[in-house]
Amino acid sequence: MNRRTVIKNLALIVGGAALLPSCVHPDGTTYIQLKHINISSDKQKLIGDISETIIPKTTTPGAKDLNLPAFVLKMLDDCYTKKDQQAFLTGLGQFNEMVQKKYNSSFSDLSATARENVLTTLEKSTKPAKDPQKAIKPVRESEKSIDAPKKKPEVPPLNFFYGAIKQQTIFGYTNSQYFMTKQVVYELVPGRYNVHFPVKNLKA
Amino acid sequence: MANLNIDSIKERTFDAIVIGSGMSGGWAAKELTGNGLKTLMLERGRDVKHIKDYPTTNMYPWEFEHRGVIPTAVQEANPIVNRCYAFREDAEHFFVKDHEHPYVQEKPFDWIRGYQVGGKSLMWARQTQRWSDFDFEGPARDGFAVDWPIRYKDIAPWYSYVEKFAGIAGNKDGIPELPDGEFLPAYPLNDVEEYFSKHVKNNYQNRHVISARCAHLSKPNQVHIDQGRTQCQNRILCQRGCPFGGYFSANASTIPWALKSGNLTLRPFSVVQSIIYDDKLGKATGVRVVDSNTKETIEYFARIIFVNAAALNTNLVLLNSTSSRFPNGLGNDSGVLGKYFAFHNYSAHIGAQYDGFKDLTTDGRNPAGGGYIPRFRNVYKQETDFLRGYASGFSAYRFRQHKYDGVGAALKENMVKGDLGPWYVGSHMMGETIPKESNYVKLDASKKDEWGVPLLNINVDYDDNDEKMKKDYIEQLTKMFTSAGFTNIKPSVNHQAPGLDIHEMGGARMGNDPKTSILNKWNQVHACKNVFVTDGACMTSTSCQNPSLTYMALTVRAADHAVSEMKKGNV
Repeated sequence: MNRRTVIKNLALIVGGAALLPSCVHPDGTTYIQLKHINISSDKQKLIGDISETIIPKTTTPGAKDLNLPAFVLKMLDDCYTKKDQQAFLTGLGQFNEMVQKKYNSSFSDLSATARENVLTTLEKSTKPAKDPQKAIKPVRESEKSIDAPKKKPEVPPLNFFYGAIKQQTIFGYTNSQYFMTKQVVYELVPGRYNVHFPVKNLKA
Repeated sequence: MANLNIDSIKERTFDAIVIGSGMSGGWAAKELTGNGLKTLMLERGRDVKHIKDYPTTNMYPWEFEHRGVIPTAVQEANPIVNRCYAFREDAEHFFVKDHEHPYVQEKPFDWIRGYQVGGKSLMWARQTQRWSDFDFEGPARDGFAVDWPIRYKDIAPWYSYVEKFAGIAGNKDGIPELPDGEFLPAYPLNDVEEYFSKHVKNNYQNRHVISARCAHLSKPNQVHIDQGRTQCQNRILCQRGCPFGGYFSANASTIPWALKSGNLTLRPFSVVQSIIYDDKLGKATGVRVVDSNTKETIEYFARIIFVNAAALNTNLVLLNSTSSRFPNGLGNDSGVLGKYFAFHNYSAHIGAQYDGFKDLTTDGRNPAGGGYIPRFRNVYKQETDFLRGYASGFSAYRFRQHKYDGVGAALKENMVKGDLGPWYVGSHMMGETIPKESNYVKLDASKKDEWGVPLLNINVDYDDNDEKMKKDYIEQLTKMFTSAGFTNIKPSVNHQAPGLDIHEMGGARMGNDPKTSILNKWNQVHACKNVFVTDGACMTSTSCQNPSLTYMALTVRAADHAVSEMKKGNV
């Protein structure tokens, strides 16, 4: 099997980012050729490290194991407006400056604990991340009329940058095959509707 | 050469032509072919074969490239269809993109379309309630539009006929304003829905909260198994097309049935330009079609024609079918064709919480979506400062609430853990709108589409009656919610354009008088009896029930009449 096939199969296993053309950074990180914005391999690595800090590898897979950095990039590339992509890039620059200034180091060179600190400090200066499930349009007819016009509040670029990575990392994580088969099992074919279901019988 | 030409005409001649393959067209084809008529079904879009052409039906969430989200470029290129709740990555291939068939919005109108075999019956919301005489007598009693030429007794047996074959889940609730039908077992109300139902019953006269009636096979009968369909598996992924045939669609039900008869010729990629009217014979002789692949114009001929192109396109075809006898559109002696167009008012919603039943929840998914509150306003007498009324959806649900703050191992844990939140309840209004001459569609004077058909020019808007009704819905539901002990009650209104309700109706309305209507009581064009219109275009008024079941019943009734008139030699 050649490298492309390996990457493709790996991507198929973790899903989603499947058909993206990939390249390899000198440090060995696979990075993604984006269609609408230009994000260098260094910056992609930073996004990957932030993503991994949000959902780290523990006894269970982390963001990188699940190919979530590639998913974050894909969503950023395909599902954000030009304006938001610009805000993201501005925020990325500010993030690097902020970390350099405060910690005299790049984010990637910090210890895992220090990385967590950077992000939680930044998070406290902004609103809590939105429930990523709410980004999904409701399916029921009864809910269609509450679908308010999408109006994003103005968020400072730095917070927007981090918020976007966090939202898409969580969205990717909770919608990953791993999570939906091993953590909270998604049923494609429930085959039932029980109306009087005792809460105590719920799993976990 | 002459002989070749005769052969060619022969090959293009059928007993019946059905324009459109969706909700009502499928029924027309099934009934006509079932009566031995060689029938040509014309569909402007591509073929969609049951199961085989549902590419996303068995996909898991993680298998979607953007996990369901429509990419920005697609959203920005399609502002109209993007407003539809079901336009998501799993079903976007069943929706018409904005550029594919432009139209002129004199006033904002979201025209949501599905151009494929099966039409919108693939993606519909599957709610099915009968009309009663409180609906059919509405215009006559309240002095708007024109009197319906039929009453409940005329359509009741056809409702039964359709329900038995399609499979409708529901309870016999014994409510005069929402007649019972031929039901499969209902999807029950959950504890909070049931609580609210009892509360409303005990505190209000003539108000009811019932299990929503829907086109799902809760327990299939032999006739459904014979269609190759099986029990609904509660997936609620219906808009993708159902591999079980768990809900009714033309693709799973009527069209395969019609094909099995051997009498159906299905021709996709066929955009109907107009219906051909023969001045000498004094009737329609066929239709003019543009093959959307080759752009070739082809004429097909038949003794009868059913127009089921969906309300707006049916108006478009009729308006564009001009002849020296009908210079303003087929059957348009009265000048009302395209006028008195109406829709449903879906512009209000109310949400709340309930603190009871903390020890109970639900498990699995409910295809019916919850409860239904039939119209209670102005039913037995006029009681408000607006005409008519609204039905309401009602549902209760609860879900785990996760904490999303922080990062790291704790956040990961929180994705799994999470306390079950309180019960939330929600309702949305489905209001009747009054058809008016000033709400109309017409052919655009200059712009044409790529098939040579003038663009449709849509001029439809809300009015004062709609505003008053919306206000009343919010007031009444707020009172009902408050008295039931619901808290955190949050009414909301939206400013969605007409059309997004996807219940567009009228333009070729039924009526007794040819001077004020286009169709007679059998859905025949008054002045051209071998043309039948049985989709949303035929609607004299809109009432507030989801309309598909009524289109289906009107279609089978009209098809039965057409067959009998053909046998008598009258058409």
